[in-house]
Amino acid sequence: MTLLTATGVTKRYPSARRHPFGRRPVRTVLDAVDLAVSAGERLGIVGGSGAGKSTLLRLLLAVEAPDTGEVRFRGRPVRPARPGRLGWFRREVQFVAQDPYASLSPRMTVRDIIGEPLHCLRVPGDRPRRIDELLRAVRLDPALASRLPSALSGGQRQRVALARALAPRPAVLVADEPISALDAPVRVAILDLLREVTVAEGSALVLVAHDLAAVRRACTRVMVLDQGRVVESGPVDQVFHAPRSAVARDLIEAIPRLPGEVAR
Amino acid sequence: MPAGLTIADMTVRFGAQVVVDGIDLTVAQGEAVGLIGGSGSGKTTTALAVLGLLPATARVTGSITVAGGEVVGARARDLRRLRGRQVSFVGQDALTALHPLMTVGRQVAIPLRRHRGLSGRALIMATAALLEQVGLPARTLRAYPAQLSGGQRQRVAIVFAMASRPALLIADEPTSALDTTTQAGVLDLLRSLSMRGEHRTSLLLISHDIAVVSQVCARLVIMRQGRVVEQGATTRVLGGPTHPYTRELVAAARALTAVPGAA
Amino acid sequence: MTGWPDRLGRMGVLACAVGGLAVVVAALPWLRGDDPARSVLRARLEDRDPDPAALAAVRSELHLADNPVQGAADWLTDAARGEFGTSWVTGEPVRDLLLTAAGVSTSLAGAASAVAVVVGLALAAPVVWALSGECRSPGRCTRGVRVAGAVVAALSEVALAAALLTLVAVRWRLAPVAGWFGPSYMLLPALALGVPSGGLFARLVGTAADAIAGETWVRTWRAAGCGRITLTVAIVRRAVTAAVPQVAALFMGLLGGAVVVEEMFAVPGLGRLSLHAALAQDLPVLQGCVLTLVLAGTAAGASGIAAQRVLLGPAGAAAALAPAGPARPRRPHRRTPLPVAAVLTAPILAGLLRDPHGVRLERRLSGPSWAYPLGTDPVGRDVLARFGHGAVLTIGTAAAVTAVGLIVGLVVGLRGSAARVGVVDIVNALPFVLVGLVLAAVLGPGLLCAAISAALVACVPIAIHTRSLATEVRASGYHQAAVLAGAGAGWILRRHLLPAVTGPVLAYALTRVPSTALAIAALGFLGLGLGHDTPEWGAELAAAIDYLERAPTLVTAPVLGLVLLGVLAGSAPVELGRRTAL
Repeated sequence: MTLLTATGVTKRYPSARRHPFGRRPVRTVLDAVDLAVSAGERLGIVGGSGAGKSTLLRLLLAVEAPDTGEVRFRGRPVRPARPGRLGWFRREVQFVAQDPYASLSPRMTVRDIIGEPLHCLRVPGDRPRRIDELLRAVRLDPALASRLPSALSGGQRQRVALARALAPRPAVLVADEPISALDAPVRVAILDLLREVTVAEGSALVLVAHDLAAVRRACTRVMVLDQGRVVESGPVDQVFHAPRSAVARDLIEAIPRLPGEVAR
Repeated sequence: MPAGLTIADMTVRFGAQVVVDGIDLTVAQGEAVGLIGGSGSGKTTTALAVLGLLPATARVTGSITVAGGEVVGARARDLRRLRGRQVSFVGQDALTALHPLMTVGRQVAIPLRRHRGLSGRALIMATAALLEQVGLPARTLRAYPAQLSGGQRQRVAIVFAMASRPALLIADEPTSALDTTTQAGVLDLLRSLSMRGEHRTSLLLISHDIAVVSQVCARLVIMRQGRVVEQGATTRVLGGPTHPYTRELVAAARALTAVPGAA
Repeated sequence: MTGWPDRLGRMGVLACAVGGLAVVVAALPWLRGDDPARSVLRARLEDRDPDPAALAAVRSELHLADNPVQGAADWLTDAARGEFGTSWVTGEPVRDLLLTAAGVSTSLAGAASAVAVVVGLALAAPVVWALSGECRSPGRCTRGVRVAGAVVAALSEVALAAALLTLVAVRWRLAPVAGWFGPSYMLLPALALGVPSGGLFARLVGTAADAIAGETWVRTWRAAGCGRITLTVAIVRRAVTAAVPQVAALFMGLLGGAVVVEEMFAVPGLGRLSLHAALAQDLPVLQGCVLTLVLAGTAAGASGIAAQRVLLGPAGAAAALAPAGPARPRRPHRRTPLPVAAVLTAPILAGLLRDPHGVRLERRLSGPSWAYPLGTDPVGRDVLARFGHGAVLTIGTAAAVTAVGLIVGLVVGLRGSAARVGVVDIVNALPFVLVGLVLAAVLGPGLLCAAISAALVACVPIAIHTRSLATEVRASGYHQAAVLAGAGAGWILRRHLLPAVTGPVLAYALTRVPSTALAIAALGFLGLGLGHDTPEWGAELAAAIDYLERAPTLVTAPVLGLVLLGVLAGSAPVELGRRTAL
């Protein structure tokens, strides 16, 4: 079943450079991108900086509206709205940010942070028990629930962010470079956790990364973006073994390898 | 061969907190050494200590010698003489690493004028030649940092650091703000610089990513919580890591880079 | 968020501000809710009952329109042609009065600017030089200069002018006391006006340089072994670029200070002209003065913005604008406030226990003695008692005004809609004296007038501070996460905005009390605040100035009080991120 779709979404921004008194030139960041996420699927979106990954995410999360094209969830159009509206959509699509040092309020305990979507989205059920359950699901000690984020390591914070996103049992989990702010050993653990919990909770996953290796470890399908266009998409193994585009080949080539390992 | 950098029993304290705890580290002349550690391992503090750029609240004990000159307790004037000529630095974020209101050409000219005494036409030629060496077109001279891409800026930062032909280059996470494709290019550049024999520049490459470092460096030093837990030749460390933390690092790197299906 | 001010750009906001002010100024005669013709008669003949015939005669003589809309439109059309009507009091053409006064004010402003630049550079240079050196703990290396700069910046023009007048002119007879008859008459007014502005300029550049010294490129340059002079020049270039638009706001402050200084030294400039016009209800003259002052300030602001564009050049990408150093500037000295507050509080408490109203003419103007530690005033009242009771009026009003400003500032700052933000920026650039002049013309001088103009000005920095903190929260990852977790506006306000903003803003408001007190004292000195018979410090100082030759010690108490308040105000952090429209 198709859950989240984007059809022909295009986004233009005024360019950062401008003449002192002239009009700003316009830059096309996304150019007629199509995308569909089905239930239980794990889709990776990769591309270099400036490829349009983050913009696509903002459109998918209804933070911004596309200039042309449309985003739909279960066939129902999704448009940006004031905070607190759009509850039906927020319950179904949740988000894990890149930087776990910024995405958790320094003034709220772990329990309050994980409980925030449960409260704001009026999710029925026993909240303390759900929070305990979530902490165990992301393999955090329930004793940490009364701590502030400043007492946690980067990996632990990202686990809290993941638990918060999973709290309302979303159908789709969207993650923006969730490992790039973390140390190497923690990265693999978080990637594996992302894969496992989405399988266990039955959510689909959209994972944005600049690193094809990360996507390969967590996802089933991959979409390669370059300068706002989709240049390649398909099952991860297929793209990895037989890339059709030069961009995908470069991305595979650029994966840092330990000496002694062969490319591909 | 005289050592490019020798750190002996160096400890750095911020108040009561020990950030670097009695480390020993050497980089021989012309050698490329990788310093690996997670956040809070003290790797950046070590780099700043070598440059004498730690804030005044830091207390450094032990000894750091760069090309035979002692850094710990050195006078301000001697430190200024040491920097640029003997040791130079490339940081992580090249956008803020360059003066935002000066063109690339005028900034790169500063170390050339100061340390190599160039001026006039020779200065302009040398600047353009340096930029060309790292694959930047001559028009980059007139560009401002904000007008360049992340990879181009990092190349400029490397040129800025290498213009004075230092004996030792310290690169602190030079690629972690870049995407993978750009990262590969910058790593190639560092590798070629460290292998070029004419200036015999030693390289201390600092990163959290063992896969990145092992592509450039022949020897690895692994730090954790302010201590060196393991060091040795790259092939040895990757082939048979002895410390549990190193094993964890190598396993994580292999997990991300191994051939699918074979794992 | 892109609201209309962003889209219009700062130039656009500027144009709207001037346009709006022009309309307010044009409608001044009708804003009093009183027949302008009646006001004219009152201005001319103090206490005669106006009869209808006289009113009609005045109307036809001055071409006064019947309704405010028509009147404002007429005035604006005339003003656009350079016609400002005639004075209600003397009947002279306003344009001639303005031209003469503007000439005087321009030369004074020029001299004061020169003083400000010299003082500013002298104070800022050591800070930048220390920062470019090997000093790795800038806060410690530059503390002395920083404190000096802060104190100089916070010296109120009232106190400085009174001190210069007492010491240099009266005691040492080194310069003329008052008037405007040659270059030597310019010396003291230029010093009184220029020195505080120079201190503020030094503080702005110093704070910018401090933040800039924390930027990454400084480390890169150091690591490459750059020379100290090269680094100094580079830091100055960046600091000046960051501070230039604020220098324009500084110029507006200079205009406000000009009113005080011109009054104190009897300089026949625009400031004095507008003050006397406001006090005499001579509205056409006040209209002309306010418009000229605002236009001059606007021109300065516009040239500041243009200068910044030129300095930034093609590098003017948004990322390059704000210094990437520490967001919250450090205070010049953390421990200054407590001892200074103690020194200030002791005589106030002592004075409060004494009687400020007992008139004993036989003891008038006596010097300090055991019975009267600070002497007596022209009618023999106890100066120490008046000092203590005046403090309650001055500082108490300031505290009340700040409390109002805190509430208004929090509400305005948290609402944060772009349109209101533009208004805040405009009001921020207005000196309180100008606001006071216009209000005095509408409401009449008094405590209410002083309190409202101080409140208008006091709530603005608080609103801006709140806004910058709220913007920080709104830009944060956890705010975005909360929105995406389905949080509504109420939840975000309760759980994220208020907890992050309330504490710091409260602390900030407290540090603003002394400068608000200085504003109230300045208004009191000008006669726009409490009457000359109350012990309010500004009014007290104005009364003491008249007896400067006979009893120079009389000015000491209020001047010292104001200077100490200035030191307290100076120990408050300066806002670098503060963006001004002008």
